Amino acid sequence: MKGISGLQLSDLLMKLYGNSAEAIFFFDRDGNVLGMNDAAADILEQDVYRQLMAGQSGAICQTCKGYMSSDEMQTCASCYMSNPEEDISSFQVYFDTKGKGVIPYSASIQTIDHENGIRAFLLRDMTHQFQTQEELNQKRMMKRVIKAQENERKRISRELHDSVAQEMLSSLVDLRVMKYMNIGEEALKKLQQTEGSLMRLLDDIRHLSVELRPATLDDLGLKAAFRTHFKWIEKNYGLEILFLTDLETERYGGEVETVVYRICQEAVFNALKYAEVDEITVQLYERDDMLHLIVKDEGKGFDVNEIEPKGTGLGLFGMKERTELVDGDLTVESVIGKGTIIRLCVPVKRREDG
Amino acid sequence: MKQEVFNIQQEIERIKEEFDFDYVGVALVQSPDRRFELRWKHVTGNQSDRHRRISLQSGKGIAGLVFKTGKPMFVADADEELGREDLYNYPIVVAEGLKSFGAIPLYKYNRVKGVLLVGYRTEEKLTVEVFQEFRKRIGLEFGPFYSKEMVLE
Repeated sequence: MKGISGLQLSDLLMKLYGNSAEAIFFFDRDGNVLGMNDAAADILEQDVYRQLMAGQSGAICQTCKGYMSSDEMQTCASCYMSNPEEDISSFQVYFDTKGKGVIPYSASIQTIDHENGIRAFLLRDMTHQFQTQEELNQKRMMKRVIKAQENERKRISRELHDSVAQEMLSSLVDLRVMKYMNIGEEALKKLQQTEGSLMRLLDDIRHLSVELRPATLDDLGLKAAFRTHFKWIEKNYGLEILFLTDLETERYGGEVETVVYRICQEAVFNALKYAEVDEITVQLYERDDMLHLIVKDEGKGFDVNEIEPKGTGLGLFGMKERTELVDGDLTVESVIGKGTIIRLCVPVKRREDG
Repeated sequence: MKQEVFNIQQEIERIKEEFDFDYVGVALVQSPDRRFELRWKHVTGNQSDRHRRISLQSGKGIAGLVFKTGKPMFVADADEELGREDLYNYPIVVAEGLKSFGAIPLYKYNRVKGVLLVGYRTEEKLTVEVFQEFRKRIGLEFGPFYSKEMVLE
């Protein structure tokens, strides 16, 4: 043994056995339990524990819910216990544990005493790791969904703007030409009405296109897109937005611009829906290679730690996900009765074709 | 059409008085050079000035809906019927705290040219009966407008 005396080692091994969070079982050649540590005893139902200790064969099967093979999530086919000669260094197994239900474990089984055929069976709780993995997957998925949604919106918005609205505009021009032709009073009046509806329809289509994704954002950048959006909010909802920015025509990476725009949109919408104010402030500026966005209202505010948020609760979640897309940082401060401040800062990558 | 100048403001104030409404407003379609916008031009009983900033898209908000459909709209309990979550889509209702209200289209040349909105800040105060009575009282004509599509029957 390297640098450790036999006595010390057995002491440490005893401690490992007694204090480890990993469940350790010893089985004899026939699959009967010789012993188990406290961690192992803790996960077993009283009943199963007693049966196991009494040496009842198959008792372990009451708590084992099968292991994962390449064919199945949980299976008993060629059970890891069935072949006493076989060592398996790592596999995944499900155990029905006391009080916590079915939990995934990473397990290993190996012979430690060839002479007597004694095998050690170790279980390590994987719940936490799986949760982490699940979360990671979910985030990755969410990001993909956000990107896909953005692309789709862009496509439909372009289509509406470039083809449908254009065609509509040509008809409108034709109609206007007709007004100067020699037509009667009655027809002229009708024509004017049609012109009115057509103009409104054209406006509707444009609004729809902008609502999906503003072409201004791609063509002219954040400042212009915000200006248009805030004007639209003011007209539609009567909410006044004080927009302070020292940006001019700066352009940032397409993704950064999209994220900042969408988060601002969401924040403003939240203020509109819940803050019960007539006025909010939006600040947008660049400092030390960081783009800062601040959306502030002096409205009702909310409890940031509230478990059940008003509305879908997806808004804030989506904002956080979007922020992560561009390695940004998002903070939400809110005091009931005082108002809400949402701060976003994003490291900026300049767009090459600026 | 009546010959004397019709004063909408006076008229809505009279209506407010008569039915003891909390709020009466008229939204009108603007001239072509104002791009046919739909705006709240006359209001009385208002508690905020939010209406001045609002220009409605057809199909949105109370006026927008009545404008687009050309049909009256009646809501006895705003929170219940429009849903608290979606209420922000009706900015006037929110800004004025209206709880029960009704709106009728105002026609001119068989086109909706405006919307007349009346309401209370109390749930269920505007009942179907009161709304009927109001519509009967307005009759077919409201100044240069009429309250029904003049289709030959």
